[in-house]
Amino acid sequence: MTTATPAVRTSFPWRRIALHVGCLAALLVMLYPLAWLLATSLKPADEVIASLNLLPSRLDWSNYSTALDGVNDVSVAQLLGNSLLIAGGAVVGNVLSCSLAAYAFARLRFRFRGPLFAFMIATIMLPHHAVLIPQYIIFNQLGMVNTYWPLILPKFLATEAFFVFLIVQFMRGLPRELEEAARIDGCGPFRSFFLVILPLTRPALITTAIFTFIWTWNDFFTQLIYLFSPEKFTLTLALRAFVDASSQSSFGPMFAMSVIALLPIVLFFLAFQRFLVEGMASSGVKG
Amino acid sequence: MTTTEVPTAAPPKRVAVPGRPARRRREGAAWVFLSPWVLGACVLTLLPMAVSLYLSFTDYDLFNPPSWVGLRNYTQMFTEDPRYWRSVVATLTYVVIAVPLQLALALAVALALKSMRRGRAFYRSAFYAPSLLGASMSIALVWRAIFNDGGTVDNLFGTGGWVNKPGWALFAVALLTVWQFGAPMVIFLAGLLQIPGELYEAAAVDGASRWRQFAHITIPMLSPVLFFNLVLQTIQAFQVFTPAFAVSAGKGGPADSTLFYTLYLYDRGFVASHMGYASAMAWVLLIVIGAVTAVLFRTSRSWVFYASEGDR
Amino acid sequence: MPGNRTRRSCVTAVVLALCAVLSGCSGGTESGGSGGKVVLRYTWWGNPDRAARTEEAIGLFEKKYPGIEVQSSFSGYDTYKQKLATQAAGGDAPDVMQLDYRMIDQYASGGVLYDLGRQKSVLRTDQIDAGLLATGALDGRQYAVPQGRGTETVVYDAEQWKATGVPLPSGAWTWSEWADAMRALAEKTGAPAATDPGQSEDAFEVWLRGQGKDLYTKDGELGFSADDLTRWWTFTDRLRRDGVVSPAEQTTQLDGTVENTPLGRGKAIVDINWDAPASGFVSLVGEGVTLAPMPSGEDGTPGQYFKPSMFMGIAANTGHPEEAARLIDFMLNDPGAARVLGATRSMPVNETLREEIAPDLKDFDKVINDYHATVEGKLNDPPQAPPSGDSALQTTFQRDYDQVSYERMSPREAAENYITEAKAELRS
Repeated sequence: MTTATPAVRTSFPWRRIALHVGCLAALLVMLYPLAWLLATSLKPADEVIASLNLLPSRLDWSNYSTALDGVNDVSVAQLLGNSLLIAGGAVVGNVLSCSLAAYAFARLRFRFRGPLFAFMIATIMLPHHAVLIPQYIIFNQLGMVNTYWPLILPKFLATEAFFVFLIVQFMRGLPRELEEAARIDGCGPFRSFFLVILPLTRPALITTAIFTFIWTWNDFFTQLIYLFSPEKFTLTLALRAFVDASSQSSFGPMFAMSVIALLPIVLFFLAFQRFLVEGMASSGVKG
Repeated sequence: MTTTEVPTAAPPKRVAVPGRPARRRREGAAWVFLSPWVLGACVLTLLPMAVSLYLSFTDYDLFNPPSWVGLRNYTQMFTEDPRYWRSVVATLTYVVIAVPLQLALALAVALALKSMRRGRAFYRSAFYAPSLLGASMSIALVWRAIFNDGGTVDNLFGTGGWVNKPGWALFAVALLTVWQFGAPMVIFLAGLLQIPGELYEAAAVDGASRWRQFAHITIPMLSPVLFFNLVLQTIQAFQVFTPAFAVSAGKGGPADSTLFYTLYLYDRGFVASHMGYASAMAWVLLIVIGAVTAVLFRTSRSWVFYASEGDR
Repeated sequence: MPGNRTRRSCVTAVVLALCAVLSGCSGGTESGGSGGKVVLRYTWWGNPDRAARTEEAIGLFEKKYPGIEVQSSFSGYDTYKQKLATQAAGGDAPDVMQLDYRMIDQYASGGVLYDLGRQKSVLRTDQIDAGLLATGALDGRQYAVPQGRGTETVVYDAEQWKATGVPLPSGAWTWSEWADAMRALAEKTGAPAATDPGQSEDAFEVWLRGQGKDLYTKDGELGFSADDLTRWWTFTDRLRRDGVVSPAEQTTQLDGTVENTPLGRGKAIVDINWDAPASGFVSLVGEGVTLAPMPSGEDGTPGQYFKPSMFMGIAANTGHPEEAARLIDFMLNDPGAARVLGATRSMPVNETLREEIAPDLKDFDKVINDYHATVEGKLNDPPQAPPSGDSALQTTFQRDYDQVSYERMSPREAAENYITEAKAELRS
């Protein structure tokens, strides 16, 4: 790696070990609740809530078999497929549209740039509950309720200012000389965006992809409001179907379903965080 | 080109102003890049925002047509609703606790990971793991179990339960947010790793100490990302909803101690069906967050460094 | 120029949206048929077991009426409420929907519900008790039909209770007899015996009706005074201070699920709950779960009542009111459907069918049915559907009692707070 300097290198051994020990200790604390989640999914029904012990008195796999039966005649495989479709579509949409908008805000000059940027930041300041009903009316008018469009289309229209702003910050960190060099080579804004800036923003784009995937996956609320037919439901929605306060809840299967729903995002994260490493390796600015 | 100079010394270079036709072409290009955003902003954002602003001046019960009441929602909020003020206090307390803690932890872990030669991928994944869950129902139940009477925290420290004591519940909720520091950590790490290694090498050749390197290279080069995390985490903290909703089962208890602003807003809008009042609350929040953010942007001029020069 | 054009169309759209909101209209639901079939959307809340049984009943319906296709959907109660409110506000309410007692007033007066009287020939209600049916009516129009009824109960673990040596409850009791029993239990076990009923608006209503009063008057005003509420909260506050009922730290963890009640967590022997969810205690505390009637007023006036639950209603803007009414009629009156549904939405309201399926009941359904039999005929008529402010007041009630149980306010202060808030809520 690029950071170590010769002066530090000599005193490294114990220092590095201390770092690892510290990190492992921190992890132990941090992963404890996850261990709890996992252990609870294997507890028999009467221990799920009442027991304050980490470990179940005996391993009970019935929660998993109940969860794997699916909900309302919809199999777990289909729920998984639906979740993947929505999250995948959202990733493509966000990466594309947010990087386009971010490039304009970060590198191009146009009228009202300041006010428009301020407006964009302002859009994330209004609690979403306040705009839920107007948004629902719009999607209903467009005939998109009970389709995946309300979940995916906004991502293609760069409505998530979080990511636009994120990519803007990374793009502004790149030296201007890059495009100027590109322009001298005859590149217009489009070519310098695709050929020069985009490759260098890769860490931000990968970050956007990862967060979008995870957050869309977990976005219970939007899915709840816009999806009606059970065959269109997602894993995250199905999870909550096990809890109904007015009748008997099934917390055990819910925990099992949580673990099942967690697996795909763990895999996604593990797969993509590799690119995060490669991204930064190749982004070292060359002279 | 070179980027090996110490950034603070980077002089603002600007190439000669391009000719007019070129500028017009560039402006056109900017709108092409912006077109998806403009469409989305108008139809999916501006429009609902305008509607909610209008609703904030009405009495609207979701089903019957809204009736204009002028500023009544606002005056009622400020003068006749003690619970509103309790939610304001709870939210401010939360912002002041959760934001610095989460950012400090995220930055510390990112720095530790950066200086690692081995196992970085493992640690990054492990530290991110809690953030994969979001504030789901199941994690809320786990949280309640850990911070309950006789739960893990009680057993270890003898503090009693946290989630069921008015003075403590807020900390339990804030800890849930702090625990999920994965997002700012990954962003910090991406920012750290984008700093060109040559900068450090050059500094080391000049004999700069680790601390000096941190203060003069890492912090300035990281400042855009630091600023991003600060602004976004602050905005999100003001709107904290899911962790409190999940941990307190939607009630904001005990004794309103975790009744955060948006939780109360939701309660007014969807439980009590006073969507006009809820909209007014939303707009007051927007103004407050806007003011705080504006202050942050203003101060950023003095401490955020952009390699592409200060053009804003 | 692109900027200009977009901005102008924005303004038009804002106006359009404002109009849509203003007029409350946003186009009727066009549930166009697939292959000439009429498509009905039907939503309810419940758990996976209820879902499976409902799907089966819908299958029977579609077999009987091949021209109708039912798309059904369900979620948990809390999320259901918000989803339905959003749909209805957006002019997109499903054709047939399950409604709670507390929603009737709001949805009916908001013009969301269809007047079922217009489909009298299709939707038969003659087998339903008139007093029960009337709970779905407002201003003389029938907006919804209850699918079931439930009543509150003192639910306890008989095994633990027996072990203490305190005599078991025997039939009717008054609130002070209940309190004495709890006190005796708490003395024997050294721990709180029951859930603090002070936080529950439902329990307060039973207590209040035992005194001959109601939560709301016929005009939807508050039916009690700060004095009444102060007496109730003083009663529960004393029990809590004496360690007879659960402390604030436990009470605050109630979230509507049986798992988080003191009884469900193994911290108490007694809970006050609705009969249907009480079945959840069996898997938590064992077969000893027993139902006793709610305490009455000191003169024996019963406070509990059969509360209609899980109404069915039709959206006012449905394209197919007749088919929707047919579905409701089927779910209520078809013997085949009744056998499949069993007691998943409590016992059928159709009295003939109720007698028909009673012998087939199993497990806790039978316990509930027997419990109903013990109080049947002894209770007063249910009050009319609560005014729409009530859904908010239910939470307010808990919040204000939190102030009492955490000893931040006296019962009197909290009660006066509640009255102020309730009056403001009911006025608007």
